[in-house]
Amino acid sequence: MSISRRNNVTVSGPADGPAVVLAHGFGCDQNMWRLIVPALAERYRVVLFDYVGSGGSDLSAWDPERYASLDGYARDVVEVCEELDLERAVFVGHSVSAMVGVLAARTAPERIGALVMVAPSPRYIDDYGYQGGFSAEDIEELLESLEANYLGWSSAMAPVIMGNPERPELGQELTNSFCATDPDIARVFARTTFLSDNREDLSSVSVPTLVLDCTEDMIAPRAVGAYVQAAVPASRLVTLNATGHCPQLSAPEATAEAILDFLRTLR
Amino acid sequence: MGRRGQGADPSGTGDDAGVDATFTALLEDSAEELYESAPCGYLSTLMDGTIARINATLLDWLGLDRAGVVGRRHFADLLTIGGKLYHETHFAPLLRMQGELRGVALEMRTAAGGKLPVLVSSVVKYGTEGEPLLIRTTVFDASDRRSYEEELLRRRRDAEQARAEAERARAEAEEARRQAEDAQRQAEADRARLADALAVLQQSLVPASLPEVPGLETAVYYHTASADRLGGDFYDLFPLDGTRWAFFLGDVCGKGPQAASLTSLTRYTLRAAALHDPEPTAALTTLNAVLHERYAAGGDPRYCTAIFGVVEPGADGRTTVRLASGGHPPALVLRADGRADYLPTPGGLLIGILPTAPIGTVETTLAPGETLLLYTDGLTEARTGPGCDQLFGEDALLAFGAGQAPASPQETVSALTKLLRGFGDGLDDDTALLALGVPAARPHTRPATNSPS
Amino acid sequence: MNPLNITRSDTASGPVLHVVGELDYDQAATFRRHVDQLVLTPGQWLVIDLTGLEFCDSSGITALLAARQHAHAAGADIALAAVPAKTMRVLTIVGLDRIFTIRPDADTA
Repeated sequence: MSISRRNNVTVSGPADGPAVVLAHGFGCDQNMWRLIVPALAERYRVVLFDYVGSGGSDLSAWDPERYASLDGYARDVVEVCEELDLERAVFVGHSVSAMVGVLAARTAPERIGALVMVAPSPRYIDDYGYQGGFSAEDIEELLESLEANYLGWSSAMAPVIMGNPERPELGQELTNSFCATDPDIARVFARTTFLSDNREDLSSVSVPTLVLDCTEDMIAPRAVGAYVQAAVPASRLVTLNATGHCPQLSAPEATAEAILDFLRTLR
Repeated sequence: MGRRGQGADPSGTGDDAGVDATFTALLEDSAEELYESAPCGYLSTLMDGTIARINATLLDWLGLDRAGVVGRRHFADLLTIGGKLYHETHFAPLLRMQGELRGVALEMRTAAGGKLPVLVSSVVKYGTEGEPLLIRTTVFDASDRRSYEEELLRRRRDAEQARAEAERARAEAEEARRQAEDAQRQAEADRARLADALAVLQQSLVPASLPEVPGLETAVYYHTASADRLGGDFYDLFPLDGTRWAFFLGDVCGKGPQAASLTSLTRYTLRAAALHDPEPTAALTTLNAVLHERYAAGGDPRYCTAIFGVVEPGADGRTTVRLASGGHPPALVLRADGRADYLPTPGGLLIGILPTAPIGTVETTLAPGETLLLYTDGLTEARTGPGCDQLFGEDALLAFGAGQAPASPQETVSALTKLLRGFGDGLDDDTALLALGVPAARPHTRPATNSPS
Repeated sequence: MNPLNITRSDTASGPVLHVVGELDYDQAATFRRHVDQLVLTPGQWLVIDLTGLEFCDSSGITALLAARQHAHAAGADIALAAVPAKTMRVLTIVGLDRIFTIRPDADTA
């Protein structure tokens, strides 16, 4: 199976345009970007994909060991870039994907020439002198709730109880909902996302970087955005007038505008 | 209700009036009242989640008052931390994309600090330009459902655990059975290999068949007390030159592999010695020297008894036999006239216990119809009698021989074999029999060939 | 099959082993163990009293020869006393009547 098929890669925009890779975070899939893709695709070659385990990816390729660390996701990014033979592409990562981009850019510097971090957080849990926004107990509660399948589509509970490994109901749901994930996969992704600590990695970023945060985002508060901008050498911060964790949905025009402004500075 | 007053049926009119009263009462239950006191929670939020309206049912469930919520709190604020994270990462983006969501399980936080499991459905209301205006949400109390699910899960886990334990027990039993089968197969293979080895070794102790000797008839019998034990008895018959043949029969001390090794050494020593010096005494003297050097000198005395003979068929049918014995029971001769005699070889000592051993010798002549029998003490020491507490003995053998004589070697061995079988369990030692005889003259069937021309 | 019973007594000339029972393949090892435990000095006589011997086969003969070897190794001598007629005939057949000193009874000095 090709990487493009495995990761459900879709490409739009001019084939000879500079490449922009948009990566979704924990929760949904590439549909997260659909409100800003048209604006970007006017001039840029826009590459969308789903991480293995999410959206329209090949679930049979999912490996709990590989995807128990963000390096596994970074390998997905690098493999997509390699198959498309992208050079010095701009990587736009939402939420946890911002950190995946940091790791991918370090692994394959020839593939990634700039980073856009949308609502990033290098560490969700508070630490001495660091405000991640969550206590360790908070994250533990989330993970426990996911373990017990107390969150999400209630019908996902049925196969858990009945022990149907095929989960036909869920498969149906996956095709209907962009943000529905196999509960087992979601648990691993959540653990990887919310327990990772990538603060040390920020200083290694050597490419131009745009940090986007929102005025009200409980997952990535403004203090975290500022922290990231301060830690990444060649970076600038733009705070979008948007609420929630997904400005590309709640404020798509402003988000697209900020990204396009940044892309223009790269020429 | 257009039917009012139209019906002629008194009873029908009365019923209509009752129904109308009921409907009227329901209508007084205003839409506002329905909203506030519905059996589910209702709330409406702005697109950023700010709560614009919330019904009394939900406020009651969560223990909140309206003033502290409307315009001040976001929908996500009503959720537990886990619920909030799920809302931000799944619920909100999906609602933005799809415009509606149904039956999503979330957890709300009550003012008292408890958790309220709920099922949430939301719909986005759009303006005339298609722009999203607000979100309408219904909340169902899923506590009972959660309890039921937890109970199902708990039972399922119990069942899985029981199944896993049963599976483990089955696998262990299967493994044990497999190992037992392997061990048995191995044991059978070992036994078969050992039986093959024993058969090969046994053939090195006694010849597979006796050679034809012109002018002589021969017969043998060989019995090992146990099928998986190598015998300690031995015999052989082989030519010395054109006219003379050598034969021997004996019994080594002990049983099993060590006895077999001694037997093998004995047999081949006697064969080699006889070719070097065909005198019967010389062969046994050589064997004595070999065994004494090999065993007794090393502090591990082993010995054997043996009779060694040289037979020379004569032109007149009379055959000369010269015997030497080292500690072996005397040979028996069945004469043509019906007598049976032992041929004692006094003074012959067990072979191998002293550096030089006295050897007893005897010589006799076999006439046609006469048979010489060599045997091991398995025959004379076979236990007989009702309690197997008596030995067959030399006297009984002598009497039996006299009863058979005259008899050819084959007849003699057959009769003894039958006798031995009769001993059953009493035959607890190895037994070897070797009989040599001169065929009786047969004047009635072949007078011409036997007459001198 | 009667178990072998062996007792020991001592005389001025040396130890006496009284053998009662059957000296066959199964029991000969017991006899040899008793003999091996005997400490003999040069010039002593080891006497094997066979008054109670009920049966003796080739294993028994071997055991008697081992006793003879044991005695000679210590510079001692060996005698068989009160040999039953059946055993005597066996000893004669195998020529051991001329190798062992044979005494009518154990008390004969």
